[in-house]
Amino acid sequence: MAGVRLEHVYKKYPGSDLASVKDINLDIKDKEFLVLVGPSGCGKSTTLRMIAGLEEISEGKLFIGDRLVNDVAPKDRDIAMVFQSYALYPHMNVYQNMAFGLKLRKFKKADIDKRVREAAKILDIEHLLDRKPKALSGGQRQRVALGRAIVREPQVFLMDEPLSNLDAKLRGQMRAEISKLTKRLETTTIYVTHDQIEAMTMGDRIVVMKDGIIQQTDTPEVLYNHPKNLFVAGFMGAPAMNFIAGTLADQGGALRFKSSGVDVAVPEGKAKLLREKGYANKEVILGVRPEDLHEEPVFLEASPDTIVTAHVDVAENLGHEMYLHLNGIGTQTVIARIDGRAGVMNGTNVKLALDMNKVHLFDKESELNIFEN
Amino acid sequence: MSMSDWEQLQHILNCPVRVEELLLSDHPAMAGLEAGTVVEDQSESLAIITAVDDGTIQMLNVGRGNLNETEKALIAWSVARYALKQAEEIHDADGGSEAERSARAIGEWIVKQSLAGGSEPLPSSLSQDGRLYAEMIPFLLETEQTAEASAFGELQKLLDSFLDEDVIVIPLKGQEWLVLAPLALVRDTLEDRDEQAETLEESLASIGSGLQEMLASEWIGECHLAVGRPMKPVKSVVQSVTLLRETIELGRIFELGANIHLPWNMHLERLLANIPEVVRYRYVEQALGRADVFMETETLSTLDTFFALDCNVSETAKKLFIHRNTLLYRLDKLKQETGLDVRVFRDAVLMKIILLLYKFTKRA
Repeated sequence: MAGVRLEHVYKKYPGSDLASVKDINLDIKDKEFLVLVGPSGCGKSTTLRMIAGLEEISEGKLFIGDRLVNDVAPKDRDIAMVFQSYALYPHMNVYQNMAFGLKLRKFKKADIDKRVREAAKILDIEHLLDRKPKALSGGQRQRVALGRAIVREPQVFLMDEPLSNLDAKLRGQMRAEISKLTKRLETTTIYVTHDQIEAMTMGDRIVVMKDGIIQQTDTPEVLYNHPKNLFVAGFMGAPAMNFIAGTLADQGGALRFKSSGVDVAVPEGKAKLLREKGYANKEVILGVRPEDLHEEPVFLEASPDTIVTAHVDVAENLGHEMYLHLNGIGTQTVIARIDGRAGVMNGTNVKLALDMNKVHLFDKESELNIFEN
Repeated sequence: MSMSDWEQLQHILNCPVRVEELLLSDHPAMAGLEAGTVVEDQSESLAIITAVDDGTIQMLNVGRGNLNETEKALIAWSVARYALKQAEEIHDADGGSEAERSARAIGEWIVKQSLAGGSEPLPSSLSQDGRLYAEMIPFLLETEQTAEASAFGELQKLLDSFLDEDVIVIPLKGQEWLVLAPLALVRDTLEDRDEQAETLEESLASIGSGLQEMLASEWIGECHLAVGRPMKPVKSVVQSVTLLRETIELGRIFELGANIHLPWNMHLERLLANIPEVVRYRYVEQALGRADVFMETETLSTLDTFFALDCNVSETAKKLFIHRNTLLYRLDKLKQETGLDVRVFRDAVLMKIILLLYKFTKRA
């Protein structure tokens, strides 16, 4: 097994002045499960394809283990790939599909057989080994594609949205299986997805990308609780973080965040830091996660200084929890996630307290998180 | 020795490594030395010959650092082996096997014919002992990287092993290969009378996809592949190559992200590609009133997916991982901006044509 290191990697396509991927620096540790996440067109697949050797690196260096592999052919990089549009070899049965890469590498028949059968057992497809791909379901085909990668026992697995062709139920199941599998095989894995739930649940670390640039690299917990900028804050989490533009008013020694329908006190510790950084009486953007808006009487009593009143446009009851789509907090719709038994109805007004210890404040110009930079 | 090779060596040895080229005329004493010969072994550096040709000598200069005798000998041995391998590859390319010479002759003939716009039948002297009289499946492969000298043999071996059939590989241009495979590859499809069975086109598409993925991961990296319907090479090889070449060219414009291109999915694209550029521009502007509607990648990907899924709103929303209402909002916004409601057949046709013309104008 091996780590992967990208040093100042750029990708520029011929005829374009702009780089699709800019100055990527990543040190992926041996056995790590790293997820590249971001909206479509952010450069995550291009980055993965450069690691795979399917795209040339325009600038910078790529190391797999200690080996510089910029000009090494994909077949010689000791990696195995599973892509969204994985194409099984239709004229071969499952066994032959999994064995082909090993056959090319001149493995002994007995070794090939051992590896294929072991991988088939791990993936629970032993009973399918004689079948041709067209006789398999979507989930079974996906397992075969994974099996083809596993038998190679590569230094690195590269996966590009491998689950996006599966239905929601199967995706959830395969997500857990891939996580289990990579932990068991202890293989370094780089996984691309646009789905932040996949990213949060699978990655040891997550790289959030936008416009070809890395926005933040960290563990799921840190990305969720300490986003460095507005983009990362908005991208990680579903429903997404609410953003309210407003002003930090300095009133009699205390800082208050004010916006349309909002006038809440900023806790002392945060206020001190904001003052030091010169944000008193400045415009900022407040970010609050849906679960940090509370309707419980205990919370309302304990936080009289952070209460807002809002109109419930839609109350979506999912049973165990409820999403309230609210109007009257700032100028845009705000979503609150509350207990499913709260019994809040459409069209009513509701009082909610903001957990000001957990909110984030962003610089209006740079969009950087004031507390994290 | 390529840049990446000595950069790797530098990384492994953890000392400076550089390649320099000397003129033999300036160093006549070096004439006759072979690759792998150590010509200088001083405390600071070690110089080893990597290649000698008519007028120049290429040398690898390694910072001596902490290298011991064994390491020094190992480097010299590796350089000698490397040079030998390079020489063998050049020899293979020059001479090649009988099969390679014959395939190259066919390739040259096809290239000449297609440049001249000809459609003559293949001369019988090039018919590979009559093999090309049989119906075969044509695959046209375009690689991003120029293949090495030994590529013909590698590709032939790889395809024989992958398809387990007697395959003919024909090099056309530097990065372009024609592969002719026997009809037996789709025998199952041709013999299956079941109505639910794969069509010939589906079968060819899935073999093409498998082949492209195998070539990308096991051979050459990024490549594009077009596959055609079976034909008799002696009669139609030039037309077939022309069609597949055009298919890849159009596929690169209209099917971004796809590496396998199918001529039977490209009828409209081929038709529109023949419209003069000025007319295309004028039409897009007249139809939309403005040409920047598609500037947003979100609009492009929404429309591409919507049309690919036969204008099915629910399926499109699912594929794009967005809520159905979000998709409807996007389509309404597009209607406001362009006056075209793509949920109505007539408007959908018009939008599809405008979209293709726009892509052709922007990417061609």
